[in-house]
Formats: sequence, C-alpha cells, structure tokens
Amino acid sequence: MLDLKLAKKRDVPFSLYDIDIFSASDEELKEISSKLGLNLSLQEMKDVRDYFQSKNRMPTDVEIQSIAQAWSEHCCYKSSKVFLRENIFNTPTTGVLSKGDAGVMDFDDDYAYCLRIESHNHPSAIEPYGGAATGIGGIVRDVLAMGAQPIALVDPLFFGEPDLKEVPAGTKLPKYLIKGVVGGIRDYGNRIGIPTVAGGLFFDKSYTGNCLVNVGCIGFLRKDKLLNNSVKGVGDVLILVGGKTGRDGIHGVNFASAELHERSEDESRGAVQLGDPIMKEPTIHACLEANDKGLLSGIKDLGGGGLSCVVGEIALAGGCGAVVQVDAVHLKEEGLAPWEIWVSESQERMMLAAPKENVDAILDIFKMWDVPAVVIGEVVDEQKVTLYYKNEIIYELDLDFLTKGPEYCRPCAEAEDIPKTAVKKPQIPGDLGSVLLSLLSDPNIASKDWVIRQYDHEVRGNTVIKPLQGDVSHPGPADATVIRPLPGSCRGLAIAIGVNPWFTGLDPLKGGKSSIDETFRNIVAVGGRPHALTDCLNFGNPEKPEKLYEFREALKGIGDMAKALDLAVPSGNVSFYNETTYGSVLPAPTILGVGIVEDIRKCVTTDFKEEGNPVYLVGQTKDEMGASLLWRKFGGEGGDVPDSDPQELSANSDIVLKAISEGIVKSCHDCSDGGVAVAVSEMCIGGNVGFEGTLPENLPAEVSLFSESNSRFILEIDANQESKWKELAGSRAQKIGELKGDKITFGKEISISVESARDAWSKPLWDIMG
Amino acid sequence: MGHNGVIKMDTKDIKVCVLRIEGTNCEDETNEAFRMLGASAETIHLKQLTSDVSPAMRRKLEDYHVLAFPGGFSAGDYVRAGAIFAARMKSALAGDLKKFVEAGKPVLGICNGFQILVELGLLPAMGQTMSEFPQSALYTNDSARFECRPTFLRHDNKGKCLFTSQVPFGKVLMIPSAHAEGNLKFPSDLQNKYLEKLEENDQIVFRYVNPNEDEISYPWCPNGSISQIAGICNEGGNVLGLMPHPERVMFRLQHPDWTRSKECPDGAGDGRAIFQSVLDNVKKSF
Amino acid sequence: MVNAEIRIELKKGVADPEGANTKKALELLGFKGILGVKTVKMFSIELDMGAEEALAACEEMSRKLLANPVIQSYKIELK
Repeated sequence: MLDLKLAKKRDVPFSLYDIDIFSASDEELKEISSKLGLNLSLQEMKDVRDYFQSKNRMPTDVEIQSIAQAWSEHCCYKSSKVFLRENIFNTPTTGVLSKGDAGVMDFDDDYAYCLRIESHNHPSAIEPYGGAATGIGGIVRDVLAMGAQPIALVDPLFFGEPDLKEVPAGTKLPKYLIKGVVGGIRDYGNRIGIPTVAGGLFFDKSYTGNCLVNVGCIGFLRKDKLLNNSVKGVGDVLILVGGKTGRDGIHGVNFASAELHERSEDESRGAVQLGDPIMKEPTIHACLEANDKGLLSGIKDLGGGGLSCVVGEIALAGGCGAVVQVDAVHLKEEGLAPWEIWVSESQERMMLAAPKENVDAILDIFKMWDVPAVVIGEVVDEQKVTLYYKNEIIYELDLDFLTKGPEYCRPCAEAEDIPKTAVKKPQIPGDLGSVLLSLLSDPNIASKDWVIRQYDHEVRGNTVIKPLQGDVSHPGPADATVIRPLPGSCRGLAIAIGVNPWFTGLDPLKGGKSSIDETFRNIVAVGGRPHALTDCLNFGNPEKPEKLYEFREALKGIGDMAKALDLAVPSGNVSFYNETTYGSVLPAPTILGVGIVEDIRKCVTTDFKEEGNPVYLVGQTKDEMGASLLWRKFGGEGGDVPDSDPQELSANSDIVLKAISEGIVKSCHDCSDGGVAVAVSEMCIGGNVGFEGTLPENLPAEVSLFSESNSRFILEIDANQESKWKELAGSRAQKIGELKGDKITFGKEISISVESARDAWSKPLWDIMG
Repeated sequence: MGHNGVIKMDTKDIKVCVLRIEGTNCEDETNEAFRMLGASAETIHLKQLTSDVSPAMRRKLEDYHVLAFPGGFSAGDYVRAGAIFAARMKSALAGDLKKFVEAGKPVLGICNGFQILVELGLLPAMGQTMSEFPQSALYTNDSARFECRPTFLRHDNKGKCLFTSQVPFGKVLMIPSAHAEGNLKFPSDLQNKYLEKLEENDQIVFRYVNPNEDEISYPWCPNGSISQIAGICNEGGNVLGLMPHPERVMFRLQHPDWTRSKECPDGAGDGRAIFQSVLDNVKKSF
Repeated sequence: MVNAEIRIELKKGVADPEGANTKKALELLGFKGILGVKTVKMFSIELDMGAEEALAACEEMSRKLLANPVIQSYKIELK
C-alpha cells in the first residue's frame, strides 16, 4: 500500500493510484515528490499539476513516475542542455551519418562505424561489480540500437588512491572498488565477446567516495543497414525483446541525478541493476539478424527510465505516438505494479519497431536464439502514449509534454578560492634521476597491465595494434589501439581516450582543450587521422554555481577545439552530481576519439626499435607546470596549466602522419603526463634499449624534462632517412638524442638504467592489487 | 581413411561446421580462418543439429568434413566451463559425434572448445573414442585471473595430429591465450600414468614455453597446467583441443610485436599452419 | 514433490583460487580472523517424483553435468 494520503487507490484488481495533486499544498507537493522517489523540484511538480489541470483529471502513479523519469537530469539534460547547444551541438558535421543513441560516422563507401561513451558512476560506487558490468551492457545496447555490431569497448576509470587504508563511512576502499569494477567489466565484456581495447586508470583522492566508471563502445555496420532509433509510422508494432522485466533498477536515473551520501548504499541498492551477459550475447545476434534481413523499422535501447522513456522516444522520433498493453510485458516475478513495470531498468532489453507483417519472421529469429520477444503495442498517428493494463486505461500523456522536459540556465560563477593565483612551487629533490623513477612508479603513470591482461582485448581477432606494445617479454604502454573492422581490408580504426582531471580542476577551459589535444595526438601517434570524438562529462553538482562554471568552461574548451580541428562530436553524455558529503570530484571531461588508419600495415607503436636511430621531439615545450604530475607529486600548487593551440596541434600532427605514411618513423609516443622524460622512458621500456639525450639550454631542466605542454610527440626516426625527415619537419622538430646502450640519460641531469625504469614502472599496480 | 597422399577434393568442397550456442563468441574469426584458406565454413547453432528448427535450418553432422568448437563462454560457463554445451550435445548427438570421430574426420576445440571436448569425453579419450565421463578437467588458472596474453607453444607432436602436420617438431609458435580456466588436470592418483600414456600415444601436441625456451614459468604458462600442456589430441590424432587461439594469428599483423618484425605485416601469422594442415589432410583423405 | 540439494565441492588437494581470492576480498572489506574460504556450489532442484526416484535422478544429473569427477565431488541431500 502506498503511504500517501493524497493517493487514491483506483477500484481495479491491481495496484493503481490516482494522485490528487490539485488539492496539494506546496509542502504536500514536495512530500509527493519525495515519498514516490520522484526527485522533482517544487516548480516541476507545479508544472505537472498545470498540465493535468488542463486535462481536467488527476495523474496516475504510472504517469507521475514516468514524468519524473523523463524529466530527470539523466534523461533530459536539463542543467546542461543550454551549454551543450552553445558548444557541442554546433560542432562540425563532417562525416556524420546519424546522431542517435550512438553517433554514426563514415568509414568508407559501404561501411560506417559508430561511437558512444557514457558514465556508470553512482551504481559502481555502490556495487562495483554489477554497476560496471551493467555499464558495459548499456553502452553495447546504444551501439546495437543503430543496427551496428559492437566491435570494441573502452573503459576509462577513476578511483581514489589505490593504496588507501582508511575511508570515510559509507565509502569503500579504492582497492576493493577497483577489483570490483575491473571484474565487472572483465566478466561482462569477455562473455559477450567484445574486446576491451583501451581505457585508462586515474587515481586521485577526490574520487575516493565517488569513483567514475566511464564506458565506451565502438560499433561497425553496413551503411544500408543503419537504423535510426525511430518507428517508421502507423502500421509499425513495438516488440520488446531480451531480458525479462523485474524490480531491479527502479529509479536508477533519479539516483544518478543526486549526490551520493552515507546512506546511499542502503537506500539505492535497488537502483543497481543486475546484468546477464548470456542473455545479451544472443540478443545482439538476434537483433542484428533481424536487421540484416530488413525486417526492422528501428531499434532503441532500454536504458535509464526503461519503457517509460523508450516508448515515447522511439514513437516521437518517427512523428507518432503509441498504444501499449503493459500487461503484455514479460516479467521476472509476479506482482509488479504497472508503474514498476513502466519504469524498471532491468537489463538486456531492447525495443524493436517493425511493420506488422514482419512480426512472425522476427519472433522466429528470437525463438531460434532462445531470446524472449513479445509484441507490446502499436504505433498510432497522434503524438500521445496510451497505456492499458488489463483493459483499463492507466496512462495517457502527450509526448510533447512528456519529452520536452524542463531546461535550466542555472547560475554559474568561478569559485573565489581558485588557487591559480596563489602559486606554490614544489620542493623537487636535486637528483632528477630519482625524480623520474618516482614519476614512473606513480600509479597514474605505472603500467596498467594488471587490468589490461584481465580483459580479452583480442577476441574477434581484429585488434592489430594492441594496448601493450613492444617486446612481448616486457611491453610498454600504448597511445591508441587499432582495430581492423573488415578482415582482409587494410583500413583501420584507431581508438584512444584523453582526459586530464588535474588540468581541468585547476583551469577548466584549458583542461577541456587539453583533453581533445591529448586524444588527438594519441590517435596520430599510431598513424591515425582523427575523425570523430565523443565525450563523457563527469562533473559535480550543477546547482552549485562554481561546479557549473567548471562544466561550462570545459565544454567551451572542447567545443572550440572540435570546431577548430573540424572534428564531429556526434554523441556524448553528461554525468552531474559526482559529489559526496566529503566534496566534489576533480572534473573529468573524458574524450573518446576515433581515427581512420588508411593502411594498418604502416601503423607504428611506442616501443623504441633500434640502436643508432635518432630521436626527435615535435612541438614546443613551455614553462607551464601547473597541475603537472611533477608539481602534484612534490607539493606544487596553482600555476599555469598547459594551453592548446589547435593550429599548432594540426601542423605538428600533419608532419607526424606524413612521416609515418612514408615509413620514416620507427616508433612514436605522445608526450603527456610526466613530460618528455616519462615518455622516453616508456619507449625504452617497451623497446628494451637505452637512450642518450641532451637538454636544451633555454629552459630549466625540470621544465624540459617534465613539462606537460600539449601538441608534442616523440619520434624515433630511421637513421637512414634522417635527412628526409629533417626536410619534412623543418623547425617543428628538434633532435633530443639517440638510441644507445641500456641507460636512459638526459645530459648530466639523469642517468638511470632501463632495467630500473622498467621495475619502477611495471611493479606498482601489481604490488598494490596482488 | 586413406593416407595415400593423393589429393581427392578441392579446398572449396571441404565443409566445415563451426558450432555454437549462446555465449560462444569466437565463431566469426574461427569461421574466417577456414574461409580465408578456401574452405566452405558454416557457422550453425547446436539446435540446428538437434531439435526443433524449420527444415530449411536443419543440418546433419555427417554432411560436414570438419567440426570446430570455437572459443567463448558457452552458456556463460555456468556450472563449469564448457559443461553445459557438452551435456546438451552428448544427450542428443553422442552417436553422431562418435561416428564422426571414428570416421577420422577432424574435430577442433579452441579455448572454450577445448573445455567442451574435455567435458564431452572426446579428449584425452584414452583407449576409446569418447569416455562416458570426463577423464580430465580444465580448471581455474593458478592466478585465479582471466589471462589475456601472448603465449609461446612448442610443437611436441611427433606426427599423429592432423592439425599440425605442417608444423615442424619442436617449432615454437606465438599463439595468444585468453582464458580463466585452462589448467589441465588429471585425477590426482592417475596423473603420472595418464601423462606417460599421453606421451606414449603421441597425444601431446603443444606445451607452453618461455620466449627464450630455457625454462617455463608464469606468465608464459598462464594457467599452471600439468606438464605445461597447452593442447592435446586423441589417439587417432583427428581431435585437437588447445587453450590458445590460433584463429587470432592468421596474419603477422595480428601478432603483438609485429611492428618490431622485419616480416611482411600481411604475411602468414603463426596460427595459420594449424588450419592449413588440417585442410590439406582432409583434401587427401576424403 | 521433493526438494534436492546437490552440493558440489572441490576434491581434496585441488587448489581453490576463487576461494583464496574471495578471502582476500573479504579482508579488503575489513573482515578479520578469516582462516579460510572454500567455494562450494549448491544446486537446489525441485522434483516432481518420489524420494527414491529423485535420488537416482540427482545422481544422474551430477554425473552428466553438475560435477566433473576429476576435480569435484558431490553430495545429494533430499529435503
């Protein structure tokens, strides 16, 4: 029974309430919102009341729950839309074929690829294994909804410091969260047979109470099989396929749209869904088979808000409405109230729209795969959704009202205590060799092979440039991985991520720009031409002006760069409220980028190849040490964060790509966290060869070695083609050393053995995680 | 089958059945490995061999020349890796399967496929075609982790195995592993006897070795398998199960270190010889 | 109707990496004094038949699917 005096049970043989919001006072409206778990503001409740007053009837619990889902931050982007419109929605459309659940881009004449990344932060903070696994499940559905075969997964993760021993109440140890999240991604991704090829692990104390789990997916499809998440028109029916509907995941979107607190675990466990990869795997096959046979009008994934969101959206996208029999939905257990069925976020479900005459053929395919499929409704002309349950009308909403949702232009202001102005220089030990070793062993730099080896990054057999590169006995890191989506073809997709939470925390505008710069150079470093970006914007509470300011500035940085580089951003995701009572996370505008590789046989990796080859630095090193790893590690505060100039980035990248395509480059690494010294060391580790380098005179040694200036690359050039290279690079590159012996040396400042660098770099995560 | 070395059929006439159920997930690349070498490979669902599908979908095992069980997580690896696939197959097709193997037709199990062959009793199947109960187990890796990494396999078969006739004895191949349960075990009281028997019968096909070949240790033996065994065949040499994935290295550029190699990136990868061997043997035999 | 519980245990001497890892995870959560963790798999099966027949069926199920005799033993209990 519903404990709410304004709820009137309707006289039907199932649970249905009319909610008397007409007679409710402001206090009572708030109470309704809170008791029903709606998370709607007073003003939003009043808007709901106005709508039903105009209809001259009270809303049912199904309707009001449905509205709360549709109007949640998670579903309607009410705090972010105004900024997204300004900065992202107007990015270039070069190569864009569709902007649906996932963005779809041109690959070649016949094929397209699609990409999307989103967050699964709050569920993972509460139940890391299930939360992360269902994150993968969700992102795979987004790609599938375009009619595409998922071909790669990408998972940037952010945790508290991994060796932390004590955590505040209501929080879990980072180490425990890491194990759970990595385990969830592993067991789900490996089971559905999609390789996890890229990602990142970022550690900062701000993520202790609110880890960030970002999950990305790349898909691939024939252009003539592209589906838009839409019905074609009247005559279409709606078929719900995949997992059964249960009580799991009710109110997930509302949970994602509020701050975490001490009691979140107990209150919200119901919002965490369970995943079933062995339902998903055949569902993927069955959906793609039905699409391949041309039986479908459209597909849409059931994610946040469940049926309540998907039915309205898929119908409205085709300019229509729908009538649905809620009691036709196949259930996990008896006794679900209609509103629960309608908003449940049970996993592994997809909605298909198809012409009536194709229904039998479609159901046959699903039967073959032993995947449940049931017709639940049909498309109607009027843009309205009507629900029946046991012949009773329980819901009748205009789609215009339901899907429009509120939109806010919330106040936004720079925090007053931004430490930029107060620069505190770090205390850097005199021995820069030991400084380098300590940076290499920082968990943010150290090898991530403990994670990478648990993910099957080679299933499907198309991962031609892998996430660990170099000599198989002791590989180094990768900038990007490359997938060959068509066996037998030489055209490839380079996949990389970029984000720097520390830059963004100190200077959100430059942080946003840097995240694009880094993604761009990661793709270029393997020989890919950057082609599309997608973003997962993890920020704090948008109702706090200084947090919204961070969001707005970072977004501006991303938008400006994308426009200047003529890169499309055909999809994206915003995650707000990444805060606990202990504070907000460092903002993380995670970028997933995809580039086109014209000829995969020409790709290069980060590992140095051969003694005697010269090593060049492309791009300019500047004294902009704010938020650099060096400064963070040795107590520096404030300072200038590296800026990014898209013209410089383009010009430098063009040289690198040209040199790679001409076979002059033997290895290439982007220069980022820890600067030149760390990048060169990583190349030595993977190549098992030493480096003898010089330091320029115009900069302090710690700047040339550890500055994290953007738009830079380190290249090993074939000694026999050095003159050709010099001609090509001109003044954009300077020689910094050559490959020699088994030591890493920089002038008189640093001399360490490759072996000691490898030890420092490869052991930390294993020591912590076991 | 006649081993007279005369080629009797075209590669394109060789029909390969790549068999799957829900959760099998390496069927595309396994199919492609046979297809790129010219064979006619077809990926089908177990239900098409056993039960209620339309006549158009129905297939007969005896119509194929080669049967392949691809990698993946069939039925989620619930109960035990490969156990559900094996039990379903055995209950409906034990007779057909036995006939297939006894006809000398090749059966390949990769990763989860190897686990299925072990659960089916088709491997090691000492003294018989198919044992009623499993004689071995592919158990959780010593590390208790899923291990996705390059592994080096030494070819230890002296000539019986149909899948390695083109791989010189003692040659080391780079074939990557990706599994959490690849630790080959025999009943503890029979362990030594079984090992001797396998050697004697020439049933050991691949062993894990270190890249420098002088010793063997984790992670180069990623699972702790007895005697570092990575793959075994039956007494007839026509059923091969191995944990590593040869279908993932059909080309050089699928190797993890190909950018360090002077070899042509689109030249043959180390896994190709396994598929080529079996197809050439089938051409001569049927 | 009979409810049968089939308990699948690792045979003596078979290492239990899952148990060992679960122990580690429990300790991470702050539980102290754990001497050992073993993984045991339990299947609860409802059967529409008499006790004797059920026992035979469960025996068959264990042998055909639920246990691999190389590493696992099983115990059947009727409730």
